Amino acid sequence: MSRAVLVGPREKLSSVIEALYELKLIHILDHRGEDETFHVGKPLPPAAVLSEDLLKLRSIANILAVKAATKEAEEVRTDQLREKILSLELNITEEDEARKKAQTLIADLDRRIEELRPFAALGLPLEDYRGYETIAPLVGRIARELSEADLGDLPAEVFEGPGTVAVFTTKANVDRVLTILGRFGFAQLEVPPGKGSPKDLLEAAVADREKWQKRLDEIQGRLDKLREKYAAFVVAAEEALEIEVDKAEAPLRFAVSDHTFVVDGWVPHPRVRDLRARLESEGIFVESEGSHGGHEEADPPVLLRNPKPAKPFEFLIHLYSTPSYHELDPTIFLFIAAPFFFGFMIGDAGYGALFIVMGIVASLKLKRTSIWWKIFFVTGVGGLWALLLGLFVFGEAFGMPFHPAPGHLTELSWQTFGIQVPVEAVIHKAFGISDMIYLSILFAALHLGAGYLFGFANEIGHNKKHALAKLGWFSCLFGLFSLLTYSLRWNRIAQWVWDIPLAWFPRAIETNLSGFVGVAIPLASLILIFGALLALTESVIAPIEIAGLLANVMSYTRLAGLGIGKAAIAAAFNTIILEGLVNSGQVVYLILGIVFLILSQLLVFLLGWISAGIQALRLNYVEAFIKFFKGNGTPFRPFGDRTTQEV
Amino acid sequence: MPDPMAAISAAITMAGTGFATAWAEKVVGGATVGAMAEKPELFGRGLILMVLPETIVVFGLVIALQLLGKVA
Repeated sequence: MSRAVLVGPREKLSSVIEALYELKLIHILDHRGEDETFHVGKPLPPAAVLSEDLLKLRSIANILAVKAATKEAEEVRTDQLREKILSLELNITEEDEARKKAQTLIADLDRRIEELRPFAALGLPLEDYRGYETIAPLVGRIARELSEADLGDLPAEVFEGPGTVAVFTTKANVDRVLTILGRFGFAQLEVPPGKGSPKDLLEAAVADREKWQKRLDEIQGRLDKLREKYAAFVVAAEEALEIEVDKAEAPLRFAVSDHTFVVDGWVPHPRVRDLRARLESEGIFVESEGSHGGHEEADPPVLLRNPKPAKPFEFLIHLYSTPSYHELDPTIFLFIAAPFFFGFMIGDAGYGALFIVMGIVASLKLKRTSIWWKIFFVTGVGGLWALLLGLFVFGEAFGMPFHPAPGHLTELSWQTFGIQVPVEAVIHKAFGISDMIYLSILFAALHLGAGYLFGFANEIGHNKKHALAKLGWFSCLFGLFSLLTYSLRWNRIAQWVWDIPLAWFPRAIETNLSGFVGVAIPLASLILIFGALLALTESVIAPIEIAGLLANVMSYTRLAGLGIGKAAIAAAFNTIILEGLVNSGQVVYLILGIVFLILSQLLVFLLGWISAGIQALRLNYVEAFIKFFKGNGTPFRPFGDRTTQEV
Repeated sequence: MPDPMAAISAAITMAGTGFATAWAEKVVGGATVGAMAEKPELFGRGLILMVLPETIVVFGLVIALQLLGKVA
């Protein structure tokens, strides 16, 4: 990034804003603070009118319940906007007021109907409940039936309707009657205002309500028609106005004196020339300077630059935290690790191919800026790994192995159905659990090791002590890894790693500790683990984190766990359905079996997508990123860019 | 075939640590989602805090594996 300062005469203000908006190159730093010469600029004159129009338009959009344009957005001309908005507003506010009035009336009538209903059931005219000196009428809902005998010798008269009761008693006895009524689940009601038969009143209210409901439906119908007609205009006009308001209010971010204005901001270094060429032709002075390695008072904003296939992964980085200007962009790290982990957990040629197809279809159908486009792209890349690993390592498609595992010849496989796939599985998931777990540990070492090296690179130009600590942790990780490899040598992959890639590793074994920990420890591993003491340069208690690092490494065993678990679920479904239903020889069962098969495969596929996707990201976010990635940077938002960054 | 008592112990270890982790994550997770509603940029930090208690179940797994003597 380069810091750029633009200075020009005030009368050029609006043309410069136009140019900057079009270029989308400068991340403006808001001018703060006043002094004698420079103060915060005032919005351009049309700002007030434009804001008002925008407000009106938003209220119109709200009344019409417009969310997004139904068809292609309409072309709008900003100079005709105001007229159109005003006439539309006139039309719509009238309808809206009528609608509100009808809604209020209907709500009132609903209340009235609710009040009258129990009284209509009782049948007494409303005036009968009022105007007594010594008698108190108690009216309400009641849960059980009541007769005058239940009130004992209390002077009272009872009128009953379905679920309602009216008891007339003397005022002196009200409390005692209420106590008895309480036992019958009595809930008292207010007597509604008015005179005459409540039944007639109720009928009148219901008729009234129907009339108003009809009127409301008519209004709603007219509003729906208006929406259909104007939705495209409203959406397009709102966008156009937002742009105009952005431009008109831009001077609020500039420093302005009596005759000049100053814009301060960041420009991507290689594009400074474009900015200069465009503005200097307009008579604007442009001064720019490269960033001083980030030793400015405020960090420059961050624009991630990645090769094309890794670009869609950037949103996953922003989701976690935007990298700061001083650290390596971890997108490539994530681009390699996350899809690979995803593929390892899926590990199935069939599902892998489906993920790829899904990714391709989505990238053709969806808009590139949409978040779903990115999500499908990311899963597609993961699917590629799943396909490769499924074909050449696990020898499996749709949860079924190509060939039965050696020694388990009755296992259901593609071979059972006469489909011969000319690749042999290197690892049979169901029977190679230890292989899977050791591989997970191996990936943990590689992934976390790379994380520490990134961390070292981040810290070296910054804080030598912290960089040293990263190396210490790297050595500790390698110690733990060599120790685990040594103690898991009974596994063929661990044996191979110990014998070939680690052939140079000193073989001296520390035996004194073996009684204590339960395993023999290679001396060199022990020494390397103590490399964590270098972390003392970071903090006195840092070396305690050795246990945490071990937990991080073990955390990767989820790769094995999910991989085997998903395959096991798919295999269980396949075996039950294929052997039980499809191969039963009856047509009904065959059809049923195929339906179940599709549903169960879909379930495994979706579950795999969600769980493997989340876990692959989590291993990066949690285990690896805390080793080197601090984040907290400001994303580069050039003036004129209107895509939202929120995920 | 591992010793039955060792197998039962391993199961108890997994159940206990799993429950402990779930309980701890529930507490942290609830607070994290609340904080994220206010400040979405806390996602990264919130996630790390939320999964910290997983260490418990991972250690449970290590102990369980040790109890079974051998990973198979």
